Formats: sequence, C-alpha cells, structure tokens
Amino acid sequence: MSPHPWQQHYADGIRPEIERPTERNLAELLRASAGEFHDDIAFTQVMPNGMNGSLRYREVDELSDDVAVYLRDVVGLDTGDRVAVQMPNCLSYPVVAFGILKAGCVLVNTNPMYTASEMAHQFADSGARALFIIDMFADRLPEVLPRTEIETVVTVPISAFFPPVIAGIITATQRYWQRTLPTITFDHTPLRTALGKGREARRAGVDLDVYLAEVDHDALAALQYTGGTTGVSKGAMLSHGNLVTNTRQTLEMVGTHIRRGEETVLTALPLYHIFAFTVNLVGFHTMGGRNILIPSPRPPNNLKRAFENYPVTWLTGVNTLFNALLNERWFTEHPPKTLRAAAAGGMALHASVAEEWREVTDTPIVEGYGLTESSPVLTFNPLGGTVKDSTIGIPVPSTEVRCVDEDGAPVPPGQPGELVARGPQIMQGYWQRLEETAETVKDGWLHTGDIAEMDDDGFLRIVDRKKDMVLVSGFNVFPNEVEACLTSMPGIQEAAVIGLPDPKTGESVRAYVVADDPAPTESEVLAYCRAHLAAYKVPRSVDFRDDLPKSLIGKVLRKDLRATMTAPGSGDGLAEEVA
Amino acid sequence: MGTASTLLLLAVEGPPPDHEVVTDFEQVLLVALVFIIMFGLGAGLTPRDFASAIRRPQGLIIGWVTQFAIMPFLAFLLVIGLLLQLPEEYAMPVAIGALLMGSVPAGTTSNVFTFFSKGNLALSVMMTTNSTLWALIMTPLALVLYGQQFMPAGSELQIPIQNIVVTLVILLVPVVVGMVIRRYSANIGAVLELMGGFFGLFFIVFLLVTWVPRNWVLLVITPWQVYAVSILLGMLGISIAYGIAKAIRLHPANARTVGLETGIQNGPLAIAIVLLTFSDSPQLGVILLVPALYSLFIVLVATAVTIRFRRANLAEEQKIPSLL
Repeated sequence: MSPHPWQQHYADGIRPEIERPTERNLAELLRASAGEFHDDIAFTQVMPNGMNGSLRYREVDELSDDVAVYLRDVVGLDTGDRVAVQMPNCLSYPVVAFGILKAGCVLVNTNPMYTASEMAHQFADSGARALFIIDMFADRLPEVLPRTEIETVVTVPISAFFPPVIAGIITATQRYWQRTLPTITFDHTPLRTALGKGREARRAGVDLDVYLAEVDHDALAALQYTGGTTGVSKGAMLSHGNLVTNTRQTLEMVGTHIRRGEETVLTALPLYHIFAFTVNLVGFHTMGGRNILIPSPRPPNNLKRAFENYPVTWLTGVNTLFNALLNERWFTEHPPKTLRAAAAGGMALHASVAEEWREVTDTPIVEGYGLTESSPVLTFNPLGGTVKDSTIGIPVPSTEVRCVDEDGAPVPPGQPGELVARGPQIMQGYWQRLEETAETVKDGWLHTGDIAEMDDDGFLRIVDRKKDMVLVSGFNVFPNEVEACLTSMPGIQEAAVIGLPDPKTGESVRAYVVADDPAPTESEVLAYCRAHLAAYKVPRSVDFRDDLPKSLIGKVLRKDLRATMTAPGSGDGLAEEVA
Repeated sequence: MGTASTLLLLAVEGPPPDHEVVTDFEQVLLVALVFIIMFGLGAGLTPRDFASAIRRPQGLIIGWVTQFAIMPFLAFLLVIGLLLQLPEEYAMPVAIGALLMGSVPAGTTSNVFTFFSKGNLALSVMMTTNSTLWALIMTPLALVLYGQQFMPAGSELQIPIQNIVVTLVILLVPVVVGMVIRRYSANIGAVLELMGGFFGLFFIVFLLVTWVPRNWVLLVITPWQVYAVSILLGMLGISIAYGIAKAIRLHPANARTVGLETGIQNGPLAIAIVLLTFSDSPQLGVILLVPALYSLFIVLVATAVTIRFRRANLAEEQKIPSLL
C-alpha cells in the first residue's frame, strides 16, 4: 500500500503538498487582508436579543495597530513577551489578539470560565506580563494577580465598539438588572484608554515594522493551554509558521468552497479555542469573510437572531452545537437558506447528527480532527471529494499521518494503532516542559494519544483515547464501543465506561449509566451486554446515576468518573482495592 | 365628622361632580404608552414566526378557543352574576368595561410571567401575537354577541363597534411598523422590544402612583362586585384555561403557558380603547373602572400563580416530550 493512500481522494484542484507560505508571520497575513477587503465588514457581534455592533477590515487593522503600539511603546513590552487574553467572543477579541501578534508578543488564550486557581496557574506558567480581560470576570483578579507576573491589566466591556446608545443599554442592563459587573478595586486601564494612548503614540510617529523585525516562521505566536485528560495544564507553543501554514493547509483542503470576499461565517465556538481561532478567525479573515461572533451560544436560542438577521453561509461547531440546533424548531422549520457548508471538529460528529443535518439544511457537513498541539487541523473530510461519515477524513495537504503500535511501527490498514502525525503545523513543544515535549513529539511525529484505524483509502476513524483504553486480561477494551452498546439498549439514555484496577484481570470494565424511569436492573443491563459484546468487554458492574460529568462543550469526562473512584472516602467498596 | 360617616356620605352622593376620573394628560400618556408597547410587540416578530405558527396550529387553536370563546363568556357570566344586581345606570357602563376587558387579546406581560413560570416562551409570544391579530374580528364580535344580551335596546349608552374596530386597526399599525423597523435595524428593533416590556410595567406603576391616589374616593365607594369582577376575570381565566390544557394532556410547560396567556389580558389595550372610543361620554370614568382595576390586580394574581407554578415538580417534567 502507498504510504499516502488518501491523496487520490482529495477534491479536484487540491494539491497534496503546499509550498511554504510567503507571509513571514500572522501580522503580514492580517495586513494583506485589511488591504484587500478594506471597507468590507470583518466582524459583527450579535447579542441574543439581536443587538449588534460591527467593525470593518480597516477599522480592525487600525485598532489592532493601536493595541500593538500600546503594548510596545506605552507599556514597554518586548518581542516574545506573553500577553494573556480572557474574553468570550466579542469585537474586542480580534482587535486585541491581532494587536498582540502585530506587536510581536505571544498570545495566551485563556478560558473566561476558569476559576481563580486555574487562571493563576496559566498566567504564572506562561509568565504573562499583561492581561486583557472582560470586565464581567475581573472580580477574580485580586486573588490571582499577586501569584503572577502581570503588571498591566486592561479591562474590556462586552459592548465595546457597539453604537453608543446600544452599548449604554447593554452596560446599564449588566450593571443594574443582571448585576454582572463587579466593582474593580485594583489598578487597571479601560480598553478605550489603552487604545487612545496607543493611537497618540502611533500618530507621534512609530514604525510598526520594527516590532516584527525578528518575527518570522519560527517565532512564537501563541501559547495555547491544553489540559489533556490528565496532568496539569501546559502551554502548546504554536509559532507564526505553525498557524500561518495550518491556515493555508485548511484553506487548500476546502478549496473553492470558501469564496473570496463572499462568505459569512457564524462563530459560535469560542475564539480562545484553537479550532475557532485558526479556522474561523484567521482562516475566514484571510479569505475576506465576515465573522458573526456569538458571545454566548447557550441556550441555542441565542443564535436565533444571528441566523435571522445575517446571510450565514458557513458554520463551524462541535457535535453538541449541531445537535442542539436540530432540536430547535425555529431552526428546523426555517433552516438558513444561504448556508453552503458546515465543518465539525472538537469531538466526534455522530453519523445520525450528520445525516439529519444534511436532510434539514440540504448542505454538506464534514468532520475534521486535530489537536491544540497541531494548530489544530490534521485531517478533514474533503468537501467536494469523498466524504465518509464517522471518520475524521484524510490528512490535510503537507501532512503525514500513521497509525502505529507500541513500538512506533505502522500497523496494517484496518488495525487500531496510536495516531501519529508529522507536518509544518506541529507545535514547537510544550512551554518550559522538555520532558512532556519529548514524550509527545518524537522525531517530529506528534503522538496524539488517540487510537485510530486507517482504511485502505487512507480515511481515519478514531476508536478511542489511548489513556481511556481498558486492558482486561491482556485484551484491549475501547470504552466507546461498550458505551455505544449500552446506549443502544432501550431505557438507557447515556453511558460512560472506565477501567478499574482488578486483582485478577489487571483491569475491569465499570459502566455508569443514566436510565429512563423505570430503570432496567443491573442484571438486565449485563445480560444485554453479554448478548452484544465479547465476554471480556462486558462491564463487571453498573452504576446508575442521575447524570454524568461533562465538559463545557458536552463531552463526558471519564477522568472525573475515575477521580471519584480513586478519591479517598468515596464510599464505594472498590476504592479500597484501588488504594 | 368621623371617617366612617364621610365614607357613608360619599357613597350616597358620589365624588364631586367636576371630578375628572382621567385627565387629558393621563389620556395622552396612556395612549402613548400603549403605542410603545405595541411597537415592542412588533419589533420582536418576524414573518417566519407567522409561518411557524401556521405550520403547527394546535397550540394556536387551543389558545384561540380559550382566548376568544372562554374569556368573553366568563366576563359575560361575571357581569350577569355580579354587576347586574347594581342599579342599571351604574351597572351598564361598568359592564361594558368588564366585557371589553374579557374580549381584548392577550397582553405582552403574559410573556414575562410565562418566562418566570418556566413555561414555553415561544408559544406565549406566538399566542399573544395570534390573539392580537384575531382581535380585529373577535373583539367586536364578542362585544356585539354578549353586549346585546344585557344592554337594554334603545339605551342611551351603546357600544360603538365601528369606533372600536378603527381603534384596533390603529393600534395594530405600530405592530407592523415595529416589524418593519426590526427588519432594517436589529439594534433599533431590540431597543423597541426592550422598551415595550419596560413600559408594560411602567404602565402599572403609572396607574398605581398617579391614578389610584387621585381617584381614591371613587375607588373607596366602588361596590365590592366591581372588584370581584376585576379580580375573578383573571383568576378564573387562568384556572379554567389551565384546567382545559391539563385535561387534554398538554405538556405541563405548555399548560402553564396557555393558562397565563389566557388569563392575562392586554389591560393597557382595553384602557386605550376606552379612552379613544368613549372620550366624549360622561360615563368614561365608570367604563374605565374594570379595565383599570383588572390591570392592577392581574399583577398580583399572576404573581401568585407564578409562585405556585414554580413550586410544581419541574424535575418530573423533563422526561415528558413536548407535544406542541
């Protein structure tokens, strides 16, 4: 078999290898767009009630220049200094993020839902010297700041760059009705003041090119923190070259399905997430698209006004989002007529959701795959080429992917092995963690920790997470398979499966289920599993629960289930065996 | 002279003859408020909402039945049972106000109460809109149908049906204008929508702080039957509609919505209709009694109902699929 069997499945006109991008850094990419699409609207932020504000390409360009000058000439930061950004999707996000990149500084995206200790860890670990934070969440800072090197805090209102009257109404609502605006007690600079100072300095005569003199492909652009499922959160070092190239690889893969200057993309995924950052923000901005930014996509009704008021042509999201929209009557009865395609990532797109989506919207939906450590896109189903549901598609151009065994040797097609990838989008390493870097990137191959199978055509299917795999008497049990069996049983809504240490078999399978009322009994569940699964895959025990722990985007968190089983005093007899 | 004897005297003689129940200023302000409220209703609507409603008419049919079959009939029964025992020259104008209150469409405040009752907000908005449009035909029809049952033929006081239709049409204009504005500026539309909700509450506050103190004499001598009609109309309306919705096994969230939606009438609209069509009548103040008292008491009634609804076992409902 050819080492690259997937290349024949690219859509027409897609090159299997792309050249090294000519842009030296992300700032050059952004400036080129601003020059070409000058007066077009780049970003529109839409609140749940339809209130909105917009920025044109030239406005974003000028405002982000102000941010860059503020950081370098007013605050006094240097090339490579880290700047943290903590805000939901809003007009300030591109202004600030682009400004940081134009300043030659390093962007540290931070989830606004983080607790004080998570914030403190990320800020301290990255060594961030400045922070842009949405004012609503600034109340956590007094306990966080002393544990970090942050000297400058810029606060950003959610309604920044809205028409003044609308901004006033939103602020008044937040302050007096929802009471979500805390009183900020520490020294900080409002965004408006920071922009003013930057503009003043810029008018006095500043050469912005100086900031980027040393910033080319190898220069660090972002520290993108990722927890993985175990261990402490660590920063993936993504260079300008990583992000520019991954943008180009993704755009090459999509080909003519993204038309220059004509797309409107709905960005409901948070921009601090690498998928939305690379694909929606940098990708569509490169192509002259208009980004509709949704600050809070839940409940899904918050997207109704955006779909009603704007000609959305593209949508990116996770399975949870597509599924939620398909359960909204306003969406299914009036699917957006302007929609052309949707891309799913972040978690497995269920085949049933994909099918229903195509039926309801009459547009294609394709699933891709990637990791924070790969900027993120590694594979995608090729729009206009062969699309296989329940697969993550084929590698994007200039990317090599293999499934390998424990020794790193490629496994034959159809056999499960750890997915490893090599290409220009693979991170430089984990920030200040040589050991973890060495474990993850070996000879240029990123070890994803996902078990996958490649078919004869080169399409990949994720079987499970390597670390979630349960080893029962030497046999591999993939939790996904057992969970799929459990949820196919009438009366079971949700299921999660983990492995527990077992004195006889090494590990044993433990199932957690959310059942209907009346619930099936444990012996009924086990009998059902025995009828559908090989004996070693059948759970040893079943725990009935009211709900399962889930992540912000709706993934079931097996690690939390494992933690409850290993925590002391969990009250479960099995805990003693673990200890 | 003690307070008790003052009251007795007032009850016999009534308020001073030159007392204006509603001043010109209040009239202008109340009508302006209704216009803003109707603007807000329109600004929250799109043509798609109508298309969605037509696709799935069960909810609207149930709402239509409770709104226009039950509420006017309930008002009629209350008039017969309670008001007609009063002297005819007083009972007739009060009865007209009560019947009108029962015949107007649902109010936008029902949406607020539906929201806090964990009801079906989309259904609530749709029912409000639907009944507001149907009101063009159904409100005059109900007034004629029930009015002639108790109004003596040839009486001096008549229900000016034509004027009421014209008023309804005029009041629907801001709804349409609101929709058009929203189409062209989502920002102005959202502001109008917010203002509509805000002024809906302001309307009640306005009645409480200016109209009630100025008319306390009138309110003190108003017979208990008038209060009973004003309170029972909302209370029974919610209960009966909720009972019917439960009986035909609607999803509990939808049953709560139908109940609140039916019982909560558009008080400001009824007041505006009275002000615009009876402005020359010397009986204006008395016709206005039930609409004004209803508008005040429905806030209390609906709050009590909402608290009760919130105590319902919501966890149990989550497994019931939505039928509407």
